[in-house]
Amino acid sequence: MSLFKGNSHFHERFGPYFLLFLIVSLFCVFSIRLWYLQVYRGEYFSQKAQDNLQRRQPIYAPRGLFLDRNGELLAVNEPSYSLALIREDCPDIPSTLDQISKWTGIPSEEIHGEFQRGRSMVRSFENQIIVSNLTFDTLTRVETEAPHWPGVKVVVQPRRKYLQGEILSHVLGYVARANEEELKADPDLRLGDNVGKQGLEFTLERILRGSRGLRRMEVDASGRVLHQEVLVKPQSGQNVQLSIDLGMQSKAYELMQGRSGSVVVLEADTGQILAMVSAPGYDNNKFVFGLSHARWQELLNNPHHPLQNRSIQSTYPPGSVFKLVMAGMAHMDPDIRESDRVFCPGSFRLGNRVFRCWKGHGWVDMTKSLVESCDVYYYQLGDRLGVDRISEFAIKSGFGRLTGIDLPHERAGLIPTREWKRQRFNEGWRGGDNLNLSIGQGFTLVTPLQTARFVAALINDGHLYKPSLLLGEDQVDPLPLPWSKAARDFVYQTMIETVEGERGTARRLRKPGVVVGGKTGTAQVVRLLPEHMEDDVEAVEYWLRHHGWMAGFAHAGDQKYAIVALVEHGGSGSAAAGPVVRGMIDYIFDETQEKGQ
Amino acid sequence: MIDRQLFLYINWPMLAVIFLLFSAGVLNLYSASAFRVGDGTALTSFYNRQIIWGGISLTAMIVVMAFDYRHLKTGSWTVYGLSLVFLVAVIFWGKSIYGAQRWLDLGFFSFQPSEVAKIGVLLMAAAFLAKIAPPLGLKDLLKTLLVALVPAFLIARQPDLGSALLLVFLVAGMVIYHGIRKNVFKGLVVTVPLLLPAGWFFLKDYQKTRLLTFLNPGQDPLGSGYHVIQSQIAIGSGGFWGKGFMEGTQSQLRFLPEKHTDFAFSVFGEEWGFFGAIILLFLFCLFLYQIFICSREAKDRFGSLLCVGVFFYFFWQILINMGMVLGLMPVVGIPLPFISYGGTSLLVNFIMIGLVLNVSMRRFMFKG
Repeated sequence: MSLFKGNSHFHERFGPYFLLFLIVSLFCVFSIRLWYLQVYRGEYFSQKAQDNLQRRQPIYAPRGLFLDRNGELLAVNEPSYSLALIREDCPDIPSTLDQISKWTGIPSEEIHGEFQRGRSMVRSFENQIIVSNLTFDTLTRVETEAPHWPGVKVVVQPRRKYLQGEILSHVLGYVARANEEELKADPDLRLGDNVGKQGLEFTLERILRGSRGLRRMEVDASGRVLHQEVLVKPQSGQNVQLSIDLGMQSKAYELMQGRSGSVVVLEADTGQILAMVSAPGYDNNKFVFGLSHARWQELLNNPHHPLQNRSIQSTYPPGSVFKLVMAGMAHMDPDIRESDRVFCPGSFRLGNRVFRCWKGHGWVDMTKSLVESCDVYYYQLGDRLGVDRISEFAIKSGFGRLTGIDLPHERAGLIPTREWKRQRFNEGWRGGDNLNLSIGQGFTLVTPLQTARFVAALINDGHLYKPSLLLGEDQVDPLPLPWSKAARDFVYQTMIETVEGERGTARRLRKPGVVVGGKTGTAQVVRLLPEHMEDDVEAVEYWLRHHGWMAGFAHAGDQKYAIVALVEHGGSGSAAAGPVVRGMIDYIFDETQEKGQ
Repeated sequence: MIDRQLFLYINWPMLAVIFLLFSAGVLNLYSASAFRVGDGTALTSFYNRQIIWGGISLTAMIVVMAFDYRHLKTGSWTVYGLSLVFLVAVIFWGKSIYGAQRWLDLGFFSFQPSEVAKIGVLLMAAAFLAKIAPPLGLKDLLKTLLVALVPAFLIARQPDLGSALLLVFLVAGMVIYHGIRKNVFKGLVVTVPLLLPAGWFFLKDYQKTRLLTFLNPGQDPLGSGYHVIQSQIAIGSGGFWGKGFMEGTQSQLRFLPEKHTDFAFSVFGEEWGFFGAIILLFLFCLFLYQIFICSREAKDRFGSLLCVGVFFYFFWQILINMGMVLGLMPVVGIPLPFISYGGTSLLVNFIMIGLVLNVSMRRFMFKG
């Protein structure tokens, strides 16, 4: 019986075709869809089904430790507890978040906000860390309550602990929770991870972090773990041994107590940093724990800027320390002899301006000009040498350029040039600028580390090393100091004379049995009258006082150290920074010698 | 009562197809409710209950087959009226389950009036249309649709949007089959799309979410989108040959929600793969084709329309359920006939088949 000719009396023209059409369409559409899902994309969905079954959870790798050059621990890891949420296991996320807020005392909106921020970054069946650094109280509360709240988990992560806090804060920096940009930029980072933000923690992030391991767990839909295995073992981060000597570092910090400034001690022959202090410091542990907004504001608004690494980020006029550069240059000039003398009446006239010296020195030769720090000698020298030669020589001597230290945010300082002044002020270079440049004032700005590196180069055959914080780091291709050996020897001897000589400005560094050389500097904050400069420091308002420099070296036997101290608003270099360098020399040659022998 | 002759005319191929579908359903339910892990033991009784319901339904089917369907032409008012009464009653005395008031408890037995209404509407619409010669004018069309709209409205407010829509689609299908005047048809083509946005305002929030989720399932992968995503993973991961009976990881490990009811086909697709799913799909089409044949062979317009009604009753359910499970349609709670668990649903299915067989076996019984 044919379908449409049968003995039915009621077939309409359209109806039966309509039903047949529906049957055929049903079959076609669904079979195509089934083919698409099961055959064409079967692999993809198989993988998805596997992912459903197998949760992968990170095994945190401990961060590499920091040790000082003697193996003393500086930064370690301790367990910290975080509260995590697995969205897929959580039947009612909003009320769970409210509950978390009750446990932790963190406002509900903050918890919800944190959850929303993080949810796109963590897959639904992985731990999404909501609150880090649980306090002990919160932890016990959560541990007892969590079983009643599916999806809530306590996760143990290693957390950084800095054993020296303020003393090493500017060198080590700190780790803190990775922010959104960092998470985006680095696929290895996961929400809730800590990442180096400052100091060596930042620059050595790759080495320190290690790589997380992976644990595979088979779970059922309610998150019960059926089986687990370690897929990838975590790799601890590498330990890093610093060139820092904790004893020297602590001593330097101690000497800087109550002052702002910087102390740098370099091993001259290697460029290794033995101590690098910026005072005041800050407690880097607080950052790891999560700094409150109020505490952060307090740090930012502190007039002494504890977050500033003064050794590499603050730039100061070098003052008379710059005369070392000038003297070296003059010594190499064939037209200038050591014995050439200049008369210093206490001031120098250029055109109709008078430039002062801090005292009248009478007849001054090259040696005396350094030892007694006569400005007039250098005014004349500057006038004669000219800005172009001076700035080129100074830059080649390591000033006004980055040292390349392994720390973030280093600043180059400034050695002014004609070109620079034109661009900066739209003005030509003037004679007076020459004079200011020659005594390390005016536009010239240097960092304590640059100064220390320069001093080291004077006593290590003229190598400007990249200052290194890592013990045993190979020093490749140091920059050559553009000085003749004779010039270096001259300045070297004169610096010793500055310490040993009766009229030397660095007499306080004198130490029997140790060869010590030095140069003081006073960096003017504002132009003050000469009578404010030496003895009357206390009378001047703090913020108007000069910065005091002392750039020195000390050696006995094989050990050669460049030691530089800068004390902000300390008055003259001799009075303010001298004792700090002296303290370091005492420490190095008394205490360490005793220890070592 | 039953003429021995009639027994010879029973549509055996149809029964064979139904037997296969029902068996597949029970087998699938066995797998879906037997957990290898966890505390799912409470569900293992589902397939037993389904078998018992199968027996009850079979009996009901035989009863429905027994008397001449032409009596239903006059009886349709009674069934229809009764189902309206039940639907109103459920508003006042209904049991609330999962926030929906759908069940009427008669003490020894509770049932969903919406299921009775499906039979009532079907009979009523068939009887109504049988009296009108095609094609339908606007007035008749609206009258016929009203047959569905009154109970549909009551069901929709339970709320059970799935069942309500099913009623409307059922009658709409019958009407289209019966034939509409060209002008009326053209008018509908223009007005219905305009009415759809208005319907939006009658939807509950969760229903709106479901529709939006359907349009963009990734938007809320853990909320409304979860079912559909997990269902597609289950089916897709089945591949060509499937993971094997009771081997579906998605379903066995409870990632798949509602796997014994609305999402039962996902379990089937995961375990039997493309191969099995196509066979099942083919069986459904064969089943629909059998009903279609019955409607063609019916002796009178009423009988034919009854079969067409049953055709659409099954067609829409298959379309909507599979469409939902395969991620082609929004999630609406409509079971897949014979495969999803559900006593009342099974009973109504068999009653519907009883109607078709009734018509089919009497195809030679009387003249013109």
